[in-house]
Amino acid sequence: MTGGGRFAAKRNGRGEVGDPWSPAVEFGPGVDPRLQPGQGHAAPPSAGLPWIPQSGWTAAPSWRRTWVSRAILLGILVVQALLSLRLRNTAFEDEALYLYVGHLQLDQFLDGTPGSLGFTASFSGSPVLYPVLAATVESIFGLAGARALSLVFMLGATVLLYSLTRLLFNERAGLCAAAAFATTQSTLFLGNFATYDAAAIFLLALAAWIVVRTAPNSAILACLLAAPVAALAVAVKYAALMFLPTVVMLAALAVFPHRGWGGLVLRSILLPAVTAAILAGALALAGDNYLHAVRVTTTARAVGNADPLELLLDCLEWGGGFLALALLGTVSYARREGMGEVPGLRQAANRGRRWRLALGLLLCGTALLAPAYQMHLHTGVSLHKHVGYGLLFAAPMAGVGMSRLVGAHFRYPQLAILIWVTLLTLGMTQSQNRYHAWADSTRMIATLESQLKPGGRYLVEASSVPRYYLRAETTADQWASTYAMTYTDRTGRRLSGERAYRAAIGAAYFDVIVLDRTVTRELDDKLVQQLGTNGNYRLLAKLPYRNSHGSGYYQIWVKR
Amino acid sequence: MRTVSRLGTLRVPRPRARRVSRPLIGLLLVGLLGSFLGCSSRPIDQRSRGATDGGGSPEGQSGEALVPFDVRPLLKPPRKYLGAALDGAPESLAPVRDFAARIGKQPNLLEYYLEWGGGFDPRRVRNARAASALPVMVWEPFEPSIADIADGASDAYTRKFATAVRTANLPVVISFGHEMNGHWYPWGTEATDPADFVRAWRRIHDIFQDVGAANVIWVWSPNVINYLPDAPLEPFYPGDSYVDWIGVVGYYTDSGASTFPTLFGPTTAAVRRFTRKPILIAETAAEPGPRKRRDVADLFAGVAASPDVIGFIWFDHHKRADWRIGSDPSALAEFKRGAANGLFGFDVKQI
Repeated sequence: MTGGGRFAAKRNGRGEVGDPWSPAVEFGPGVDPRLQPGQGHAAPPSAGLPWIPQSGWTAAPSWRRTWVSRAILLGILVVQALLSLRLRNTAFEDEALYLYVGHLQLDQFLDGTPGSLGFTASFSGSPVLYPVLAATVESIFGLAGARALSLVFMLGATVLLYSLTRLLFNERAGLCAAAAFATTQSTLFLGNFATYDAAAIFLLALAAWIVVRTAPNSAILACLLAAPVAALAVAVKYAALMFLPTVVMLAALAVFPHRGWGGLVLRSILLPAVTAAILAGALALAGDNYLHAVRVTTTARAVGNADPLELLLDCLEWGGGFLALALLGTVSYARREGMGEVPGLRQAANRGRRWRLALGLLLCGTALLAPAYQMHLHTGVSLHKHVGYGLLFAAPMAGVGMSRLVGAHFRYPQLAILIWVTLLTLGMTQSQNRYHAWADSTRMIATLESQLKPGGRYLVEASSVPRYYLRAETTADQWASTYAMTYTDRTGRRLSGERAYRAAIGAAYFDVIVLDRTVTRELDDKLVQQLGTNGNYRLLAKLPYRNSHGSGYYQIWVKR
Repeated sequence: MRTVSRLGTLRVPRPRARRVSRPLIGLLLVGLLGSFLGCSSRPIDQRSRGATDGGGSPEGQSGEALVPFDVRPLLKPPRKYLGAALDGAPESLAPVRDFAARIGKQPNLLEYYLEWGGGFDPRRVRNARAASALPVMVWEPFEPSIADIADGASDAYTRKFATAVRTANLPVVISFGHEMNGHWYPWGTEATDPADFVRAWRRIHDIFQDVGAANVIWVWSPNVINYLPDAPLEPFYPGDSYVDWIGVVGYYTDSGASTFPTLFGPTTAAVRRFTRKPILIAETAAEPGPRKRRDVADLFAGVAASPDVIGFIWFDHHKRADWRIGSDPSALAEFKRGAANGLFGFDVKQI
C-alpha cells in the first residue's frame, strides 16, 4: 500500500501531471506539503503525520492483473472449445466437397494428376488455399483433424477479438467481448466445421487487430500489413469482401484519437488502395475462372425464393440478443466515455461523442450487412454461418455493453452473468440444432460401400458426401448428384435436368441410386415412381434418418 | 476491518457476511465444466440405446443391422437350387439333417406353409440360414378374401410382418397365393377375380417396399396349366417389377404327364409369352408306385437340361398320398444319384 513493493506502479519518475496515473485533482494551500498528489507513492512520511493514499489500490498494469485476465481468457477458450467439440455428426456436403477438392489439388501438386472437375469457376473461395490446407491436415488426422483446424482458427479469432477490444476500450470489455463471442451459435458451429468460414473469420479478425494495434504510434507501413491479410481473407472466401470497408473504416477511426484527421485520411486512402491492388494483381494472375466464380457465388449470386421475413426472424434468433447488447454498448459508450473506475483518470484526447458514436454504429452496423444482403437475395443458404462474421465486429460493443451493465466496482455482476448464461444457452442449443441439420450418413455410406464395383456409376442426392468418404475406392467421374446432370442418350441427344435422369434410369445407366428427399424432393418422388415400375432397378434398402427438420429415408435402388 | 486515516488506525466493526466456502465454489465450477463434457450432441435414440459396434452384425441407429442384405446374387445362382418341404422344418433342423443324410446332399431351399394372419417367426429364417438354405414361405390367404386384402383390410398386419422381415435382415423367399389359377383354394378361380389377385399382390409388395423390407424374393407360383385350360395365366401376373421368380407347381401322377417337357412345358411356354423371369419348380413330387423312380430321374434330367429353370423343391409330405422320397427305396436311390450331380445344391451363404 505504501511506498514501493511488488505492486507499486511503474511511473515516469516524476509523478507529474501528464502521467496518466496522476489525478487531475490538486491539493489546495494549507495542506501539509508532505502530502503528495498521486496514489500514495510519495516519499516515506516523516515522523508523526501519517499520509493519505489517494486510493487503496492502483489501476496501473501489473503482472497479477495480466495473469488473472489471461486465466479468464483461457477459461473462455476452454469453454468455447468444449462446446464446439461436443457437436458430433458425419461430414456435411460442403465439408466433404472442400476436403475432396483439397485432395484433388494436393494430388495435382504432388503427382501431377489432373485436378479435374473445374471447381474454380463455381467455388465461393479459392480452391487452392483453404481446401489444400484442410486436406493436408485431414490426410494425417482425418475429418476430426480438419474440424480441429477450424477450432484453432475460431479460438484465434476469439483471442484477437479480446486483444483488439482491450486496445480500443479496456480489459474488462475485452473479456466480456470474448466471452460473448465465444458462446454464439456461429462461433461454436464453425469451430467444428471444416469449411473456410473459420479461416476467413480468423483473417478478418487479424486484419482488424492489426489496424487497431498499429493505430496509436506505429508507422503507416505497419498498418498496411493489414492489407495482405485482408486480401488473403477475401481469397479464402470471396464473401469476406463485404467486410473490408469495415476494416478500413475501423483503421480510420482507431487512428483518429492519436493522429487526428491527417492519420484518418491517410489510412482511409492507402489501406483500401493497397488491398485493392493486391486483389487485382492476384485476380490477374489467377485467371478468368476466379472472376467468374466471384461473380456467380458472391457479387451477382442467383436469387433464391426464401421469405425475407423468415430470414429476418432466423437472424434475430441467432444474433438478436447479441446485437441488442452491442447496441446497448453503443448507446452507453456514446453517452459516457470513461471505461475505468479509477478516480480522475485522464481522458484520452479526441475521443469525442461523435467519434464514439461513429465507432459504435460502424461495429453494430457491420452485423447487419450479411443478413441484409441475404434478405435482398431471398436466400437463407449458410445464413447461420454468415451471421457470425458480423457478430465478430459487433462483439467489442457487446463487450462494452456487458461491462457497462456490470457497472463500476462490479456493482451488478448478476446482470452480466444473466446475459452471458442466456447467450450461452442459446448458443448451445442453436449450434446443436444447426449441427444436426443434416442426417448421419454412416449406414448409407456402409451400404454404398458394400455395393461398389469397378467402373460403377452412382447417383446420390448429395453425392459429395459418399464421394469423399469412399474416395479411396472410387474416382470423381463415377458420381452424380440430383442437383444437375447432363446425359447423352443412345441417339446422341444431350439431355439435362429431369429428362436426363429419366433417360439415364430408363437405360439403366447407374448401378446404385440413393434418394433422400432432402434437397430435390419433387424430382426424387418422380424418380422413385419411375424406379418402381421400370424393371431395371430393385429396392435394396430404405434406411431411416433423422435431422433437425424431421425424419426421412435414404432409398437405395440397385440395378437388377 | 482496519482503516488507516489521519486520526490513526481505527477499528470499525463490519456486518458479518456469509461467505461461500471456496471448496464449494470449486465444486460448482467442476460440475459446470463436467456438464459440458457430458452433454453429448448425439440424437436421443442413439444415446439411450447406447448402440455399439463390434461382434456379429454391427448395429447402426435404432438397433438394425448396419448394412441391409442384398438378395440379388441369389436370384440367378451359379448352380441349381435343390429344395424340400419337410415336416417340422425349418422350426427344427433335425428333419433337414435327416433328409440330407438320406439324399447325400444339403437342401438349400426349405419350404414351409404359413396361413395369412400368422406371425413372422425369425427363428425359422435363422435356422434356414444356419443350414445354408433359404426359407421359402408359402403364404396362404384363406381369410380375409383377396378382394378385401386388395382393398386394405390387412394393411396393419402386412406392415407389422414386413417390419419383422426387415429386422431379420436375412433373405426370405415368399410365395403368396400359390396355385391361384386353380379352383381349389379360396384365392383360386372359384372365388377370386384375377384383377383383385394382382391388386392384392401389388399392395402387399408395396407395403413391404414402403417399410423397407427389400430382403424378400417374390415368387409367383401358378399350377401347371395342363388341366386348367380355362384359366389363362397372364391376367394373374402382377408384373416384372413385383416378381422375382416364376414358381411352377406340378406333380408326376399316374394319370397325368410323365415327362418333364409334357408336365412343365406348356406352362413354361405360356409364362414365357409375358415374362423372362427365372423359373423355379416350386412344388413337385412323384406319386407312389412303380413309376416313381423313373419320375425322379426325369425330374433331375429335365431341370438340368433347362437353363432358365433354377431348381426345384421336393414336396416331402404325406398328404393325400405318400409323396415322401424315403417311402420308396429305389426312388430314393435315384434321388441320391441325381443329387450327387455337382449342378444341384450349393451353400447360399457363399454367394
